[in-house]
Amino acid sequence: MNSEGIVRPNDLQRLYADHHGWLQGWLRHQLGCAHNAADLAQDTFLRVLARDHDVATIREPRAYLHTIAKSLLVNHWRRRQIEQAYLDALALQPETLAPSPETRALIVETLLQVDALLARLPEKVRRAFLLSQLHGLTYVQIAGELGVSERMVKKYMAQAMLQCLTLMDDA
Amino acid sequence: MSQNFRVLQEAADWFAVLHSGRVGEDERQAWQAWLAHPDHAHAWRKVERLSGQLQRLSSEPGGRAAAGVLRSRGGRRQALKTLGVLCGGGALAWLGGDRLTARGWFASQRSAVGEIRDLRLADGSQLWLNTDSAVDIAFDDAARTLSLYRGEILVDAPTERRPLLLRSAEGVLRSERGARFSLRQLDGETQLSLYAGDFLLRGAGQSAATLLSAGRQWRFSSAGSIASGPLERARQAWASGMLLADDMRLDAFLAELARYRHGYLGCDPRIAGLRVVGAFPLADTERVLDALAGTLPVRVQRRLPWWVSLEPA
Repeated sequence: MNSEGIVRPNDLQRLYADHHGWLQGWLRHQLGCAHNAADLAQDTFLRVLARDHDVATIREPRAYLHTIAKSLLVNHWRRRQIEQAYLDALALQPETLAPSPETRALIVETLLQVDALLARLPEKVRRAFLLSQLHGLTYVQIAGELGVSERMVKKYMAQAMLQCLTLMDDA
Repeated sequence: MSQNFRVLQEAADWFAVLHSGRVGEDERQAWQAWLAHPDHAHAWRKVERLSGQLQRLSSEPGGRAAAGVLRSRGGRRQALKTLGVLCGGGALAWLGGDRLTARGWFASQRSAVGEIRDLRLADGSQLWLNTDSAVDIAFDDAARTLSLYRGEILVDAPTERRPLLLRSAEGVLRSERGARFSLRQLDGETQLSLYAGDFLLRGAGQSAATLLSAGRQWRFSSAGSIASGPLERARQAWASGMLLADDMRLDAFLAELARYRHGYLGCDPRIAGLRVVGAFPLADTERVLDALAGTLPVRVQRRLPWWVSLEPA
């Protein structure tokens, strides 16, 4: 970072000029889709811009870009997976209930957010939480489903909520 | 431990207590007292924000089912288990419970009053069984036959080599292609709501066939009368466990709701014409009645557990 904490446009331009083609090529190879690759390459440079870094001091720019792009790629796959699951689920619904494109986008966004909040929880805790909150099962039913005591289900619920609250705090 | 983290911890504990479904009045008051502190109220708003998001997911079509993928991250795939939960275990039950007859796979499917089941058939069809219904599923080399004895089914069937045959007390319907339809056995009549595809109807004891095309609702009797009317698309929502009312008369609404419960459900003629609007969960009809009492000038009179009537408030 330079003394003002500002990324100098020239450095970023150089980084872009030197590595954008390579990055986009790598992403295209991973995704098999030029359009998405271009988007993700663009996102990668936006991330670089958003970080408090003096671009000129990055020693191994390709390794650096590669790391950022890889995390974006994982998110991208996860989003695709969730979108697909949602579309599959919708396909089973009566067509009269087909949500608008806005609602769809909102639902996918919400699924992604909830996914991120619950990602690091142990399997049983996550399942207990979703069975209660999405499927409306009682603690007794969940206890039966998971093979644990009702008391444990209550503990899982608190644990899941605490994790979410903690992460929401950071956001 | 920071003060802030402790508050979050308390909020999470309260959340777990309040969702247990076994909250005493003293506990509720203790929670209210805790909530009175501004820091606590701040933390609780976050709990509610998340609850609201989850509520939205569970009420949107497809949202709840899609959330199954959220559980599939930790290694083992839970998709099948999710399906079991969503379908009340019905999806695989019929494969296991089949009897093999000379004609092929034969299955008798029933649902109890208030139960909605969801089956996937061998040809990839999706079949929803409404409350208090009975249907036979017989697939053999020559045809895919569904025989409805009681109640209602909603079916989404793909096109394949074998024709689709539907039997009711009043006749036989045949389609050479796939279709999306609901079939309901009424008293002395059969009702077919045809969302996609077409059927040839041959009434019981009739020789001529009539073509029924998509986009209409058809009613026929064994006497040979056929009537058609506009499709009521919102009616399909039962397959998602919802009753959608868009400006529905109260008496018609209650007649529909009564299908999902035992005993009598009716209303005073003076309020029969009130209009009902909204989406109501069929799984909990008591809650629906309370919701009506909350929004319309009516009160719920529970004379006996199986005798419920709505009266002017």
